Amino acid sequence: MKSNANAAPATMTLSDGTVVELPPENAPTQSNTVRKITGNTILAGLGLLFLVPMLWLILASIDTNATWAIEWPHFSLRNFQAVLTGSLLHSLWNSVVLAFLSTLIASVAGVFAAYSFSRRKIPFKGALLLFILFTSGVPLTIMVIPVYEIFAHYGWLSILPTAVFLSVTSLPFEVYLMKNFIDAVPEDLEEAARMEQASTLQVLWRVIIPLAMPGIAAAAIFGFVNAWGSFVVPLILISNGSQQPAPIALYTFLTLPKPEFGNIAAYSLVFCVPVFILYAASSRLFREGFVLGGGVKG
Amino acid sequence: MMSTAVVDTTTGPRVAELWKSRQDKERTKWSSILLLTPALGLLVVLFLIPMGFAVYLGLTDLTLLGPTSIHWGFTGMQNLTRLKQDTEFWSSLWTTGFFIGGSIVGVVFLGYVLASLLQRATTWLRIVVGGIVVVSWMMPAVTAGMTWYASTTGNGTFATLLGTPNSNFLDAQPLLIVTLANIWSMTGFCMLVMGAALRNIPSEAIEAAMVENASTWQRFRLIVLPLMRGTIIAVVLLTALLSLANFSLIYIMTQGGPGTATNILPLYSYQQAFSFNNLAYGALIGNVMVLIATVFGVLYVRIASRS
Repeated sequence: MKSNANAAPATMTLSDGTVVELPPENAPTQSNTVRKITGNTILAGLGLLFLVPMLWLILASIDTNATWAIEWPHFSLRNFQAVLTGSLLHSLWNSVVLAFLSTLIASVAGVFAAYSFSRRKIPFKGALLLFILFTSGVPLTIMVIPVYEIFAHYGWLSILPTAVFLSVTSLPFEVYLMKNFIDAVPEDLEEAARMEQASTLQVLWRVIIPLAMPGIAAAAIFGFVNAWGSFVVPLILISNGSQQPAPIALYTFLTLPKPEFGNIAAYSLVFCVPVFILYAASSRLFREGFVLGGGVKG
Repeated sequence: MMSTAVVDTTTGPRVAELWKSRQDKERTKWSSILLLTPALGLLVVLFLIPMGFAVYLGLTDLTLLGPTSIHWGFTGMQNLTRLKQDTEFWSSLWTTGFFIGGSIVGVVFLGYVLASLLQRATTWLRIVVGGIVVVSWMMPAVTAGMTWYASTTGNGTFATLLGTPNSNFLDAQPLLIVTLANIWSMTGFCMLVMGAALRNIPSEAIEAAMVENASTWQRFRLIVLPLMRGTIIAVVLLTALLSLANFSLIYIMTQGGPGTATNILPLYSYQQAFSFNNLAYGALIGNVMVLIATVFGVLYVRIASRS
């Protein structure tokens, strides 16, 4: 990069005789091409480094006699067939229930709170918002020991109370995200609905939720991914083995005397799929952006 | 307030009207509180109450099993004295510090380098490399731990690729490897945030610096860095908070071992509470983590509310 500055700069003589140096970027010099190639090479190298840890997962999942070692696979899809049956499938279903319930609770409670924070006068609003921002910063999974003691005392060590606790771990961030999106919905639209005697719930359902949908969806996806991947919370808070979600089933695999490595890898990949699909969906949501401008004009 | 009221007496009816409309606006509707109730109720019941309970639990003799799991009580400063003399706790604190510090340096550096290289990269390379890094970020911690274990153990991917199949990196440098795994799993987030911040830097600023023949380093230090300060601080704090709470990745890879080499605070707290039976002492270690997170959290709130 240094050579760029040392090389004789490209110049241009203006009509009044002054000589101006051209910015290096505009000059089709060799160093620019070199720079681009260097940048691309470093990027490709970093990409490869990030790819290496994933190789085992991919190769072992399609290998019938996989081990911890990296090997060229004896290709078959038997591992995937093996993990999509019986108790393993049931654990995936438990993950769906756990993630879906906690997303539902956090999103419904979150959208009401976000609307109230965004549009209403509330006593101590600043302090409350600060409290919510703070709880979104402190990872609530740290609270798992006192919550365990409370749940154990009331006999709640099962999947439903755990879903409620997981919803609380993503709730503060969801409220913040949704509040920002509701702030962007023009108040004119809401006032128009009020003129026609719409109730608060109707305004929420007909005006706010449709228009803030990208934000609400993004918040819900955040909540779902958070609950889907959680390991320590169900590990401690669910005492019934048949209610354990997929991450715990995956961990149990490892504690077996003769682990089936191919199955572990295949199950891990299956477990990732919903997360990747939701990420792809959410990034498209954001790219489509808002349609609020059109809403006002129409 | 008083003085304005006195001055405005001449326009009495107008003031009364204004005052009335202001009262209208300032009134808190019951429905506003009702809408807040579910969210605040959940946070009070499952965050504030457990937090208060944990402070008390930390000063008791509660155990997971045995007589003191039912008949437990306040023991005063006993646990705190124990904590002060617990060398394993202090070494766990250092391990946590290394884990968080290393993660911050790695995540911010790699996140920035990737974000800035991606901006100028060829399209297909941008899609492929960006995709790989995002996938490594989205991968659930359990899966990431599993594949990192396989990659760094004896005969693993890294050992094989480096031509020394028998070397077991995870056994030789456990703390470094789990830190690298954490960096790997968090860089994607940093890359996306930094990428968005870089796109917001006005290109005129960079072009002006180019006309002035500023070097790459000067452009970075004088233009990019000041404009991205807020973003960098937010990423640093988020990385710190998420690393502090990281349990799953290390638990899958090493369970805190070999010995206590990777026993960061969340694992030590879990170990004391659920393996060594000392729920109260585990809760106390949890309180230390909440305290650390609070320091980070307060910094985060101060910076987030400034912008």
